[in-house]
Amino acid sequence: MGFVDSIKKEFSTRTLVLITVAIAINIAVGQLVFTLKLPIYLDSIGTILVGALVGPWAGALTGALGNIIWGYTLNPTYLPFFYVAAVIGAMAGIAAKLGAFDRVSPRWLSALIGGFFFFGLTLFILSITAYSRDGLIPNASDLISQNALVFVVILIIGLAIGYFLLRKAGYAGLAGLITGVVAAIISAPMAAIYFGGVTGAGTDLLVAAFRASGAGILASTLAQGAVSDPFDKMVSFLIVWVIIQSLPARFKAR
Amino acid sequence: MTTSVSLYVAGDTGFHRLHPITKLTITLTLLLGGLVIPSAWASYALFVGFILPLSIWGGIWKQLIRAVWKIVLPFGISIFLIQGLFWGEGTTLFSIGPFTVEKEAIIFAFGSVGRIMLVIGSFLLLALATRPDSLMNALTNLGLPGAITYIVVTTIQIAPRFQSKARTIIDAQQSRGLITEGNLIIRGKALVPLILPLVLGSIVDVEERAIAIEARAFNSPGPKTSLVTINDTRLQKLFRWTLFLLMLLLIGFRIWWSLT
Repeated sequence: MGFVDSIKKEFSTRTLVLITVAIAINIAVGQLVFTLKLPIYLDSIGTILVGALVGPWAGALTGALGNIIWGYTLNPTYLPFFYVAAVIGAMAGIAAKLGAFDRVSPRWLSALIGGFFFFGLTLFILSITAYSRDGLIPNASDLISQNALVFVVILIIGLAIGYFLLRKAGYAGLAGLITGVVAAIISAPMAAIYFGGVTGAGTDLLVAAFRASGAGILASTLAQGAVSDPFDKMVSFLIVWVIIQSLPARFKAR
Repeated sequence: MTTSVSLYVAGDTGFHRLHPITKLTITLTLLLGGLVIPSAWASYALFVGFILPLSIWGGIWKQLIRAVWKIVLPFGISIFLIQGLFWGEGTTLFSIGPFTVEKEAIIFAFGSVGRIMLVIGSFLLLALATRPDSLMNALTNLGLPGAITYIVVTTIQIAPRFQSKARTIIDAQQSRGLITEGNLIIRGKALVPLILPLVLGSIVDVEERAIAIEARAFNSPGPKTSLVTINDTRLQKLFRWTLFLLMLLLIGFRIWWSLT
């Protein structure tokens, strides 16, 4: 089967209808989260669902069109970030092809995934802010020994998140965490160049903290995204995992 | 059920009656102008010189200014506070306590706010005066795949239904004893019992809707007629081509500018 055929295969009439439902779900869940006053966005659950159920191309189209529609009908600031939403949908599709949404992980493995990931993420964030401040790539072992307490606390929090929150969805959670980091990296240049590195929301306190520590605009924006995006995408992937586990088998078989 | 989420403000002005593609071209030209002209003031000039007059012509200036203000204000406050206080190096203008405010920081903040104003303003100009369905209709005539048009128009129509469905689910679950207020963990736990019924309920009727539109010749090949016809004039065609040339010139100017 050729490349073009593999794309065409994803776009049946059912897929098109599913995409409209998914974008409406993105908007409605955004409203639910707002009602519950939760400090996360969860505005891409529909996008991830299409990626997981249909494939990367359909996921990418859902993400891109979702942001364009949201931008055109509610708030134009979403428009420039359509490519980030497309990458999130595509990554959900790739994760599904690798089995992230079907497989069940033992809880100890989920705990390890959480622990290792948040440990690595902290190292990544400290490295980019230190690099931006000093212009030198810092030594990882120096960073860890200088902030030993921070790393121990983060490791424990990561293990707890894996064990108590991800539970059996360790693989989906890991896919979400990686997607979050990628989303943070690719959205930072647009946010820094076009929007002065801020979002006008609560997460700007993080940007202020990183700027105060001496990091540059791009590095601070990237570090802010790397703190808030992985957790948001991890919860989104986790919810999609639960949805897929509860879908009738007939629907999954397509 | 004809309500839909939209910024569109109904009106019958000359600006409203312009062909959607003409308005889209104006928006794109303004955006490109703000990006390409290498001055922090260009965005402000374009906003005052073009976006405001056009919005007055379309009778949408009140809504435009209100929306721009609501979106740009939080950005502006954040940018001035964060970049103003933590800039680091440059020519010091004045200092507040332990913080110094640099000239470069203020120029950066003004430039960023101007760009945000221009992006928001130029898109609002289009969205406030153009019905999404007629824009999509016009784009389809230009060769955009019908599937994309279907997704955009349908989503805009069904989104309010989903929002009211979400409200119904909140009420139903609350009456069964679901707690949606309290500390973060309690509110977080309420998430799955609210999202799951919304998603599962809507996914199940996807198939039904797919069959319904296929039965109405959704996939039939060949030309399709539209209920709505959009007026176009020769003058507008000429105007669009002029703007298109202008955009090419602007891009050329930018390349020449960065080379010299």
